[in-house]
Amino acid sequence: MKIAILSGKGGTGKTTVTSNFAINIKNSISLDSDVEEPNLHIFMDMKNSTSEPVYTYFPSIDKKLCTLCGKCGDFCNYSAIIPAKNKVIVFKESCHDCGGCKLVCPNGAISYDKREVGKIFKGKTKYNTDLSYGALNIGEMSGVKIINQLKRSFNSDERTTFIDSPPGTSCATVEAVEGVDYAIIVSEPTPFGVSDMKMVVEMLREMRIPFGLIINKAGLGDDEIYNYSKIEKIEVLGEIPFDKKIAELYANGENFSESIPEYQNFFKNIYKNIIEGRGSL
Amino acid sequence: MKISICSKKEGLDSLVDERFGRTENFTIIDLDTMAIKTIKNNAKDQVSGAGGEAVKLLSKHSVDIAIVPHLGPKAETAMEAFEIKTFSQEDYKSVGEVLKAYQAGKLKEITKKKGLTRV
Repeated sequence: MKIAILSGKGGTGKTTVTSNFAINIKNSISLDSDVEEPNLHIFMDMKNSTSEPVYTYFPSIDKKLCTLCGKCGDFCNYSAIIPAKNKVIVFKESCHDCGGCKLVCPNGAISYDKREVGKIFKGKTKYNTDLSYGALNIGEMSGVKIINQLKRSFNSDERTTFIDSPPGTSCATVEAVEGVDYAIIVSEPTPFGVSDMKMVVEMLREMRIPFGLIINKAGLGDDEIYNYSKIEKIEVLGEIPFDKKIAELYANGENFSESIPEYQNFFKNIYKNIIEGRGSL
Repeated sequence: MKISICSKKEGLDSLVDERFGRTENFTIIDLDTMAIKTIKNNAKDQVSGAGGEAVKLLSKHSVDIAIVPHLGPKAETAMEAFEIKTFSQEDYKSVGEVLKAYQAGKLKEITKKKGLTRV
């Protein structure tokens, strides 16, 4: 069973919720797919990780075969390949590695070279659970490839995997939640939290992924999140109060359910409800 | 010899645009006949890579010299590959003023800086 944790707005508590689930659900796997700034491994205290590179491919042109017909340039949506006067220019950073230019080239002049866009780190946490996270190289524009490979880092059909997703609703977030069985939205009762959450709800419905909501920092802001959830018939799985103690534990890099034991059942029960609610899963 | 100027509207009275890849229009002037035409910049709404596409468009219209505001690194690389010379439009406000300044030799040619890596 794969469960994605996402939010829309950044800083609402995705990683906090992910780590607290991961330490309370036995034998679970956690993945941090926020490859632009991964931090789950810090809260889970991952030791002795191993890393593997993630590659993407970009076109390389055989000048002897190329007739500068222009078909590759007309095809590319990102202007990553542009046939010019006497040569074809390739902006490898712009290439999305779709493979289209090679398909439309009538002369077989295009092949692909690879370059590294980031790394995947894999290891055991101090809770003796499996964790893996992706890290995008500096200057790279897209973490989609890394997230795709990250989701295949454990053979995990039998075990529960928690996927800490990137904020927003961009390609990276879509990639992170693609194919999951359930999604947990972590939002906060502020206008920004609710506004960004609405986009996530729209995205998950479009992708036909069932989801529920955890309201973090409850007590802050206003009632809009409650009204919105009611109107949209979104199940509220639980609430975590806006509590100084929790904030202090977070600031010390601790997972709050360890120090406040009543939250262990909070996470276990939500998990149980999700499993039971999903029947066959 | 054809030159292009980034323009908000049509004709010599139009204001120049401050962007190259996402300029509204290009006003193209044939210096031999002084014929003037304005073309829409199709590259303007590209998600990314507007600069390169815009250079492609200028090349299709046989532009030899492009007078531009700031040029991005990709547009710069593309200009070189399409063998289009580039001059800075400086602080001139209208297409007509830019044209006059160019004809008077007041505009500086942009020389290649170190751009993005490319194959």
